[in-house]
Amino acid sequence: MTQNDPFFIDFPGRISRIQAEMAEAKIDVYLGSRLRTLSWTLDAFCPWRSFVVIPPEGIPTAFTFVIDAARVADDSWLDESHVFGFAPMGGQDQIELISDFIKDLLPGRRGRIGIESGMSNYLPEGNLTHYEYERFSAALPGCELVNAHTIIDKLSLIKDAGTINRFREASRIVDIGHQAVFDALKDGGYRGMTETGIAGLAAFAMRKAGSEWEWSFTGGNEIASGYRTGLTGGACTPASRREISAGEPLMVDIHAMFKLGLGDHSHNYLISPVTHRQWWHANNFLDIVRLTLKTYKAGITPSDLAEKMMGFADERGFSDYMVPGFEHGIGMMGDEWLIGLNDGPFPYWTNPEHVYQAGELLICAMQYACPEEGIGFRYENPVVIHPDRCEPLSVFPLTIDEI
Amino acid sequence: MTEQIRYLTPGWRDEAEMRLKSELSPERMNFITSSMSNIYLDCPDGKDKYLFFRFEKGLFADLILGEGEPPDAEFRITGQYETFARISKAELGSQRALMTGKLKLKGNMIKALKLASIADRLNKVLSTIPAVY
Repeated sequence: MTQNDPFFIDFPGRISRIQAEMAEAKIDVYLGSRLRTLSWTLDAFCPWRSFVVIPPEGIPTAFTFVIDAARVADDSWLDESHVFGFAPMGGQDQIELISDFIKDLLPGRRGRIGIESGMSNYLPEGNLTHYEYERFSAALPGCELVNAHTIIDKLSLIKDAGTINRFREASRIVDIGHQAVFDALKDGGYRGMTETGIAGLAAFAMRKAGSEWEWSFTGGNEIASGYRTGLTGGACTPASRREISAGEPLMVDIHAMFKLGLGDHSHNYLISPVTHRQWWHANNFLDIVRLTLKTYKAGITPSDLAEKMMGFADERGFSDYMVPGFEHGIGMMGDEWLIGLNDGPFPYWTNPEHVYQAGELLICAMQYACPEEGIGFRYENPVVIHPDRCEPLSVFPLTIDEI
Repeated sequence: MTEQIRYLTPGWRDEAEMRLKSELSPERMNFITSSMSNIYLDCPDGKDKYLFFRFEKGLFADLILGEGEPPDAEFRITGQYETFARISKAELGSQRALMTGKLKLKGNMIKALKLASIADRLNKVLSTIPAVY
C-alpha cells in the first residue's frame, strides 16, 4: 500500500513513536497482548492469542498460534521473519519462545518489560492473564514487568487519515447492508422473516460489498424485534430466531469490517400498524439522536453531553426510557471499550470528564428502552470529532421507517 | 558384515556427509537455503557436542561436528544425546520428540514447518548409517 492510498497507515511511524515513549518510560521491550494493540501495530486481525514484541529500535515481531501465523504474516506489513507461530513443542510454546526472544533483545538479558494489564468489559480485550504474567516473570529472571498500556492508548487516541478512511469505508458498507435489509422488509417482505434471517441477509450484502466480517463479539449483527427492543437498560441483542410481526418495533444493528476499520450502525423500524404511542416513542428517540449529533464536538465531555441530553429527555417526559450513556470507545479491531485514557474515577471505565479533542473517533451509542410497552430503539454510528461538530460516518438516513 | 562406526565421531560425520550428498539431491531438498545446529547434551564422554548443517540451494555446503558453541544457524535444536540417538536409530520420530518436549527448537516455526519433511528425509538417511551408540 502506498502513501497515496486512502487507507495507508504509517505503521513503521507508529512503531517509532511507541519506541520513543518506551525510551521516555525507561522500557526496554514492549510485550503487547491486547487485540487493539495487535491491530494497531501489525495491521492484521489476530483472532487467536497473540503477542507483539517491540524492541527499543527496529521492527516488531508478532507471535501467534502456529495455525494462523503464515496468514498473519501475509496480511501484516511485517515480513515472514518477523512473525512467529507458537505451538506445544519444545522451545516453541508461547512463554518459552517469547521469553527467549525477549532475552536476546536485552543486553545482559535483563531489563524492564512493558506489559498490558488491566480489566475490561470487552471480553476479547487480551490483557496479560495472571497465569501468563507469572510464567513470563519466571521465564525472565532479572527483568521487571511493568504495566505500560497507556503508551498505546495515548498514541492511538487521535486517529490518522488512513484509519478514519477505513472506518468511512466500513460505514459505507454498513449502509449497503441497511439498504438490503430495508429492501427485503418493505412491501410486506418482513412476513416470515426472523431476526437471524435479517442478520444473515445484512451480512451477505455487506460481505458482497467487501466486509471481512460482522466483527462485533455481541453475536455479529444484532437484531431485536418486539419486546426484545425494549429490554431494561439493554443495549446488546444477539439475533434470535424470533419471527418479525406486525405492530412491533424492529432494531437492526449491523457491523462491517474493512482493513480493521469498523462499521457499526443501527437503524430502526416500526412494522405496521403503528400506534400513536409507538410514534411518540419513536419521535422522542429521533429528536434526542439529532440533538446529540448536534452537540458532539471538541471540548465537551461525556458527562456534559449526558447532562444535556438527559435534561432534554426529562423536559420531554421520556428520561425514564433513556439508557444514560451516549457513546463508547472505538478504534481498530479490538479497541471497543473505554474512551480516552484510563484516568477516570473508576479504573478501566470511561472518564466522564474526558475532554474530546478533534480527531478522536467514538461510537455515538444511544439506547431507548420502554420494557413495559415492549418498545425500544438503538442508535449507533462512528463519529469523528471535529473542532466545531461531529461527523457521522454512516450516512443511512436517520429515520424510523414504517414498514 | 558392515563395519559399525561410533555415533558422532569424525568417521560418522564423514559417512553422514557422503550419504547425504549421494542420497539427497537438491530436488529432494527442495533447493532450500538454510542452516541447522543439533546440540547434543550429555554425550557419553560427558561433553556437549553439535552437528551443524548448512544447505545452499539444496546442496550440502557444510556438515560440521564440534564441541562448545555451534556456528549461528537459522534453527537450533537442543536435546539429550540419548534423544538424538534414538531418532537416528529410528526408534523415535523427531516430531514426537519436539511435541513431548524432548527436543527444543529455536527458530521461526513458520519456516520450520516448510522444512519438516526435509528434516525427516535427512534423519532417515542418517538412520541408515551402521553406528554404535
